[in-house]
Amino acid sequence: MPKILIIDDDPDIVESIKVVLESEKYDVVTAPTGEEGLRQAEEENPDLIMLDVMMETGTKGFEVARELRNKEAHKNTPILMLTALKSETGLDFKGEAGDEVWLPVDDFCDKPLKPDEIITKVEKLLNKG
Amino acid sequence: MPGYHVSRELVERLYWLTRLRWIAVAGVFGTTMFVSKVLGLTLPMNPILAIGFMIGIYNLSFYLLLKSIKIKKNRNIFDAANWISNWQISLDLTCLAGLIHLSGGIENPFIFYFIFHMITASILLSRRAAFIQATYAVFLFCSMVILEYFGILHHYCLKEFLAYDLCRNLVYIAGVSVVFISTVYIAVYMATSISKTLREKSKKLRMANKQLKDKDRIKSEYVLQVTHDVKSHLAAIQSCVGPVTAGITGELNEQQQSLLKRAEERTGKLLLFVKALLEITRMKLSNNITMAYFSLSEVVKNVILVLGTRAKNRKIDLEVEMDQSIGDIWGMKTNIEGVIMNVLANAIKYTPTGGKVSLSVQDKGESVLMVVKDSGIGIPTEDLPKVFDEFYRASNARKSEREGTGLGLSIAKQTVLRHKGEIWAESKENKGSTFYVLLPKGGEKL
Repeated sequence: MPKILIIDDDPDIVESIKVVLESEKYDVVTAPTGEEGLRQAEEENPDLIMLDVMMETGTKGFEVARELRNKEAHKNTPILMLTALKSETGLDFKGEAGDEVWLPVDDFCDKPLKPDEIITKVEKLLNKG
Repeated sequence: MPGYHVSRELVERLYWLTRLRWIAVAGVFGTTMFVSKVLGLTLPMNPILAIGFMIGIYNLSFYLLLKSIKIKKNRNIFDAANWISNWQISLDLTCLAGLIHLSGGIENPFIFYFIFHMITASILLSRRAAFIQATYAVFLFCSMVILEYFGILHHYCLKEFLAYDLCRNLVYIAGVSVVFISTVYIAVYMATSISKTLREKSKKLRMANKQLKDKDRIKSEYVLQVTHDVKSHLAAIQSCVGPVTAGITGELNEQQQSLLKRAEERTGKLLLFVKALLEITRMKLSNNITMAYFSLSEVVKNVILVLGTRAKNRKIDLEVEMDQSIGDIWGMKTNIEGVIMNVLANAIKYTPTGGKVSLSVQDKGESVLMVVKDSGIGIPTEDLPKVFDEFYRASNARKSEREGTGLGLSIAKQTVLRHKGEIWAESKENKGSTFYVLLPKGGEKL
């Protein structure tokens, strides 16, 4: 089964997503910090990464997404960003490397996460990849 | 260094003074003509008219100088404006003294026109400068009187006006001088006192206004922090309850399902409220929002896509009319979409089943007018002015729909104001409501 890495510093959110994904028989690995997430990504080589924007520590999520994209192994790994930032700011975050608003992710998912929404988005991203 | 407001005020007063001076120039010519032609008094016309021309020329120069100050947005605008006012008043006094000397000196009742200049000086200048100008006026007056008295300066006697040559009557000179000098100083004293109090008051008001704005900002930052925290906890609760009610963790019995569903729904409502609060607070705090050209018809289409089903479910006839000549407009797409969504959703929400709701988007040249009309419950007259206030819900709205944050229309208003537009409503209870949103199309002006 495809392996999914969840990077989020909120253990309750992580647990709730994990339950949903595991019910669909996905392999789930989790990381509570950006650094740990990058390490796990290298070790576990996931098929998809769910990444929180981690506003509490600035915009750590942005940095993690950019760093992942710069690595050969994760250049094309789909990233699902867990944030309402897109709908709240109206920015499309496309941009280019080096831009302030460049966020190289494939899709966004607002919190709270609805189980069917998680499953649909994950399936869509995995099929695309 | 005086603040921006003080400088601006001074510049505006100087413009006012320039306008007054044009009237004075016209007055000099008019009075001279009247006095010589109608009253038949003999006046040295040429020097008087020369002074009139001189006033006109320096008034024009000062006007142009003022313009250049405003255009350059000079940082030392206050110093420049202050310098101009001092020079203007001194020149005015000198010219007035010249005119009076040429038309009878101390015998001319126009000597009391010096008082006008004293009042102007008191309004425009500092107290000290106003007293210096008063002293200059007194100096001009006394010099003229003394020099004319001793015959050093020629005395232009208004023979047809006064029977006696009063300029050599010491008692008259002493009397008029005492009254004149005391009036000049008293006028300056009184006018500067009043203008000082007024200046202090307006300064205090400006400070109080700034403090209020600062406090409002602090409050908003606090609200932002709190709502953000509340939202993340609520999101976690919702995320955890979701899989359970969805049956992912195993089947629930009826009671468990019902209670958890209730909990989920209430959290959802609270979340909706917190999100709205977060949105309006963020909008108040952020100074710049990213704007771009976007297609308004596409936005309207998106909104109808979402709300069309809602209207259909309630058997409400939703009519949409859009002027096809409207191209792209400048603004923040998601925010404008939010405004239309908000107003139209409200119309559907407060219109009973089987009613009618219409959205018409009209091209008004420089701007776009959106009109949302419904056949709903309407808004009571006393509630109408408050519907855009935060947390305000009309009395009949609360009765008919328990749900509602009371923030939707205030968010819409904030957004519209940000886009330099206008939003207003017309309504009669039980007769339906009409909401208007006027948005400018162009980017440069925003």
